[in-house]
Amino acid sequence: MANKSPEPTGMHSPEISDEDIFAAMKEIPGYLDITPGDFKEVYHLAWRHARERLLRAAKAREIMTREVAKVKADTPLKDVAVLMAQRAVSGVPVVDDANRVVGVISEKDFLRSMSAGGITSFMGVVAQCLQEKGCKALGIRKGKAADLMSTPAVTVAEDTQVLEIIKLFKEKGINRVPVLDTQGRLSGIVSRGDLLNLATFRGGGAL
Amino acid sequence: MKYFRKMRGTTKSPPRVSLAEMAWSWLGAFLGILAVALINDKFLDGTAQVMLIGSFGASAVLIYGAIKSPLAQPRNLLGGHVISAIIGVSVYKLFPGALWLAAPLAVATAIAVMHATRTLHPPGGATALIAVIGGTKIHALGYFYVVAPVGLGAAIMLAVALLVNNIPKTRSYPEYWV
Repeated sequence: MANKSPEPTGMHSPEISDEDIFAAMKEIPGYLDITPGDFKEVYHLAWRHARERLLRAAKAREIMTREVAKVKADTPLKDVAVLMAQRAVSGVPVVDDANRVVGVISEKDFLRSMSAGGITSFMGVVAQCLQEKGCKALGIRKGKAADLMSTPAVTVAEDTQVLEIIKLFKEKGINRVPVLDTQGRLSGIVSRGDLLNLATFRGGGAL
Repeated sequence: MKYFRKMRGTTKSPPRVSLAEMAWSWLGAFLGILAVALINDKFLDGTAQVMLIGSFGASAVLIYGAIKSPLAQPRNLLGGHVISAIIGVSVYKLFPGALWLAAPLAVATAIAVMHATRTLHPPGGATALIAVIGGTKIHALGYFYVVAPVGLGAAIMLAVALLVNNIPKTRSYPEYWV
């Protein structure tokens, strides 16, 4: 099969053996005028078309998580961290009183503020803590969400195509994107996990 | 070298069909050829007309033995035979004195035109060839060869295929008409 990029990982058709096809052909009564090898080729190509059709057709609205963990600009960072830990998410949108997204705060923003030299990995921070006998996390204790959040927030509309969202993730290096309704208010969030569910046809019930 | 490696093949042969499938294939082919052969021997004996030609044996393999194949569908059966017959007769009329040229030209052109019209039916190649090398009786028919034996014979065999292939629960014919 030809390589086609850009392509998200984990989306190749399940490996199918000549024996699988042979067994399937035996189950169908009558002579099938096709070799197992040809069928395999058709199968792989058809799978790719099906996947592209689903990705192209799917909109943010259909795959987004609606129960969004979110914070306000003046939420203490301590509470932000607690919320993110409780909900087991790696980032939350920051909204104003009208539920409009003003920024996004993520693990990366925390890590960056907790380390010197722009380290944004957990192990990077651990390494620094161990080397310098002290953790810089305490320095942001009094901070608020507004101090760390990334602005302006990258957002999408409810009818943005999933393929566009995948491109956005790659281009901006982000892991989630808040979804806005037509009035510009937060209505959901699409994370890499949501995309993975679609890519493997889970959750959508197609497989 | 890739060119020679391709000659080794890449996959295996499809499975053997069930005994029932073999029996239905046998019955369909027997009745289909029987119908055409009876007309040939009982009604046309002693006339200038023939009804049974060799390519019908090949059609029987497909329309009674491989009924799911695109090559075996009515469009291909009728279209392939009729188009190939027209080409065969035309090529013979163009080169009546050079069968060594007319024969390959008729077959090759028949295949190309069947492809172009999405009516590929392997026995069509034989139908085109028979128009060229079928002897004086075939040559004497001229373009009537297209109507009978070719068109009429294929239609009779199609009728038998429709009647027989749809009797067993596990069989259904055709897959499509056009």
